[in-house]
Amino acid sequence: MNSQAISRELALRIGLAARALPDTDAKRLLSVLTDCIDLPITEEKIAGINLKTLKTAKAGELSGVDDPLLTHALSILKSGLIAHAGVVQERQVYADGDMPGSVRIACASNDAINVDGHFGSCNQFMVYQVSAEEARLIDIRCTDIPDGLEVDDKNVFRAELIQDCQVLYIASVGGPAAAKIVKLGIHPMKLPGIETIADIISQLQTVIAGTPPPWLAKVMGIEATDRFRFEREATG
Amino acid sequence: MALYIVEADCISCGDCEPVCPTNSITEGSIVFKIDKKTCTECEGDFDVPQCVKVCPIDNCILPLEA
Repeated sequence: MNSQAISRELALRIGLAARALPDTDAKRLLSVLTDCIDLPITEEKIAGINLKTLKTAKAGELSGVDDPLLTHALSILKSGLIAHAGVVQERQVYADGDMPGSVRIACASNDAINVDGHFGSCNQFMVYQVSAEEARLIDIRCTDIPDGLEVDDKNVFRAELIQDCQVLYIASVGGPAAAKIVKLGIHPMKLPGIETIADIISQLQTVIAGTPPPWLAKVMGIEATDRFRFEREATG
Repeated sequence: MALYIVEADCISCGDCEPVCPTNSITEGSIVFKIDKKTCTECEGDFDVPQCVKVCPIDNCILPLEA
C-alpha cells in the first residue's frame, strides 16, 4: 500500500493492538493510524497519539469502542517506546519498615505494564509496595511452576506466590480461585476493564492519602484508634 | 435480636443490601450498616440470614450481643 516500510516490531505491535480491539484487523487499525499521523508511521509519531485523537480519527471510526480497550491498544502500540525510553521495569530495593503506612499489592500482568492478566493464566505478578508518597516495584514473580514441583492446585500455588501481599489486582478471576485468594488473607480486586499498573497505583495512593476504607486501614496496620478518628472526621 | 456489620471488615460491596427482606441495610458514611430496630435476622422470611449468606467476608456480619 505504500513504499515506506515500517519496522517489523512496529508492524507486530499494530497487529497485536488490532487484536485487542473488537472487530478490528491490522488493516483497519492502520487506516485509522494513518489518518491520525501522516505516513510514514514512526515510533515518535505513535508516541504523540492519545485516546482522543485515536477516537476522532477517520471520522470516528473507532469512536464506538470502549475507552479501556482503546487505552489498552494504545499501550500496546507504545509498549516498545517505553522500553526504548529506558523506563524498563526494574526492581527496587525494599526492606521491611522502609515505607510506613504502605500496602503491598500484586498486579496480574502479561505485559508488565497493564493489569491485563487473568489470575489463573497471567505470566507474572508485579509486586509493588505502595505508600501515599511513593511506590516501589519490589518483585516480579513468574507464575511458571518449577520443574519437578508437583502442584495439586494451580490456583493455590499462584495465591501462595503472593501471600505477602494485601491486595491483588486482576483483570479477571474465577469464583473458586477468588475464594482461595481470600482464604490467604489477600483482598482480590477485579477491575472493570484493562488499566495500566501506573494508573492503579496512583488511584491507590489517592485513597491512602485520603481516608482509606476501614478494611484497607486494617490491612495497612493503622491502629483502630486512628481509624476511629477517620470515622469521626467522616461523619462529623 | 439483630445483626451488625463489623466495620473493619466490610468492603462495601453492597451485596447484602438488596437481599434484606426488611430493608434494614443501608450504606452508611463509612460502610454498610444494619438498622437494629428493624433487623429480624430473617426470622419468618428465611431459614438463614440472607446478608450473612451473600457476604463474601467471613465473620463480617455477626449477631448483636443482647
